[in-house]
Amino acid sequence: MKITEKIDVRFPRTLAEALRLQAGEQTRGKLLAGGTDLMVQWAAGVPAPERATSVWNLPELSAIEMAPDAIEIGAGVTHAFLRDCVQIRRHLPALVAAAATVGAAQIQSRGTLGGNAANASPAGDTAPALLVTGGSVVLASLSGRREVPLDRFWIDYRKIDARPDEIIVAFRLPPKGRAKERFRKIGTRRAQAISKVMAASRILVEKGRIVSAAIALGSVAPTPVRLAQVEAFLVGKKLSPKLIDEAEQLAQATVAPIADIRSSAEYRRWASGRLVRDALEHL
Amino acid sequence: MSTIRRTWKINGKTVAVRFPAGRRLLDVLREDLGLIGSKESCGEGECGACTVIVNDEPVVSCILPAGQLADGTEILTVEGIEKKRVGRLIQQAFIEVGAVQCGFCIPGMVVSSYALLCKNPKPSTKAIREGLAGNLCRCTGYTKIIAAVKLAASRIPAAKRT
Ligand SMILES: Cc1cc2nc3c(=O)[nH]c(=O)nc-3n(C[C@H](O)[C@H](O)[C@H](O)COP(=O)(O)OP(=O)(O)OC[C@H]3O[C@@H](n4cnc5c(N)ncnc54)[C@H](O)[C@@H]3O)c2cc1C
Ligand code: FES
Ligand code: FES
Repeated sequence: MKITEKIDVRFPRTLAEALRLQAGEQTRGKLLAGGTDLMVQWAAGVPAPERATSVWNLPELSAIEMAPDAIEIGAGVTHAFLRDCVQIRRHLPALVAAAATVGAAQIQSRGTLGGNAANASPAGDTAPALLVTGGSVVLASLSGRREVPLDRFWIDYRKIDARPDEIIVAFRLPPKGRAKERFRKIGTRRAQAISKVMAASRILVEKGRIVSAAIALGSVAPTPVRLAQVEAFLVGKKLSPKLIDEAEQLAQATVAPIADIRSSAEYRRWASGRLVRDALEHL
Repeated sequence: MSTIRRTWKINGKTVAVRFPAGRRLLDVLREDLGLIGSKESCGEGECGACTVIVNDEPVVSCILPAGQLADGTEILTVEGIEKKRVGRLIQQAFIEVGAVQCGFCIPGMVVSSYALLCKNPKPSTKAIREGLAGNLCRCTGYTKIIAAVKLAASRIPAAKRT
């Protein structure tokens, strides 16, 4: 018998049904969306749980709502959907670019935005793009809904601010407006490679001056991070080659990456600066 | 352990299946239904040998919990693709170009090529590389595989592209 067959997977048809299962300790299961992280972990020997609760295709997790102040994207929306959705691309281009770099076509068909965020890998590609929107995560449980700002959602290595009875239902993401967004990922090869470092940015320049700046990096810390120091340094300044040099150096000085199988600390530090430069050179 | 039932449309035929709730789609296809065209190589979603098409999207069946596919789901495997016009063009092109060495990756390559050509019947080399990025081949070096997909695409009549 294959390892995943030891798991009692339940397939609720509605969010309400799933929330009821998750509310009780005896019925609660590991949440299973597209399974592109979990099924691999279980195949690779991570102990399988007794129970799992499938949230794949729950209608309440599949919706997209476009309001002027925020685009609400269901946690169950796949990377393939984001990759192909022209309207979302217009307002959240960095997120769409990030989704298009997750694995390859087969993984994008199944991998969800909620799964990528909840998996909370520092190398999760959509996290920096979510972070620069300044948006929030919507969580549901039987006791109601709550919203957590994304910059407080990833609390530690593979730890998120969600209770065991909660399910992520959506992400509320303010559109970029007149700002420019960019996403760049550095991996071993272009496709199907986990990132060594990646960056997302949302920067507004008016009359040559930086009005607002949000820059986030992945794979340089236990969680995805905003570069608050670099952002504060940039705001109010005139864009110039000298400013870009200084921002690059500041970025290198503020990150404290580690070495692992994918990259060295030195390379990650250097690449962090280059990615900040790249964002500023493309405004 | 609970057993579940599903009724899907596999390669155009309605099929009812029963399986343990945590079974992988690949095992249902190969072991329960005898559709052994889909191969298992890495078992971890990396290589694409087990690629099938579910509701028009390519997926890797080795990491797909079969129970998540609702009744009425349409599944196309390499066995079904062989019977499609574009599928036959792909097959013929792989043979003519000599794109096959050991052959283990080829069912997955054919399925991904089919998924690609259904969406984009005239793909650029870059689009072919991207469309096949989730399929690994340890023998050929990809050059002939890409040439085969190009040849197949060149033979798709403009009006009949599925
Ligand atoms: C070959 C391959 C290549 C990959 N390449 C990349 C890559 O380039 N970049 C990248 O970022 N990732 C990559 N991944 C990882 C994975 O595909 C993504 O992280 C994907 O978005 C996970 O989504 P999922 O729906 O499959 O999650 P699942 O595996 O179903 O779940 C992942 C985690 O999220 C939790 N979860 C899922 N949904 C919810 C919810 N609604 N509420 C609360 N918790 C939830 C689960 O309990 C689990 O802990 C790759 C995976 C494979 C197999
Ligand atoms: S066997 Fe499924 S991707 Fe390799
Ligand atoms: S022909 Fe041998 S793996 Fe591709």
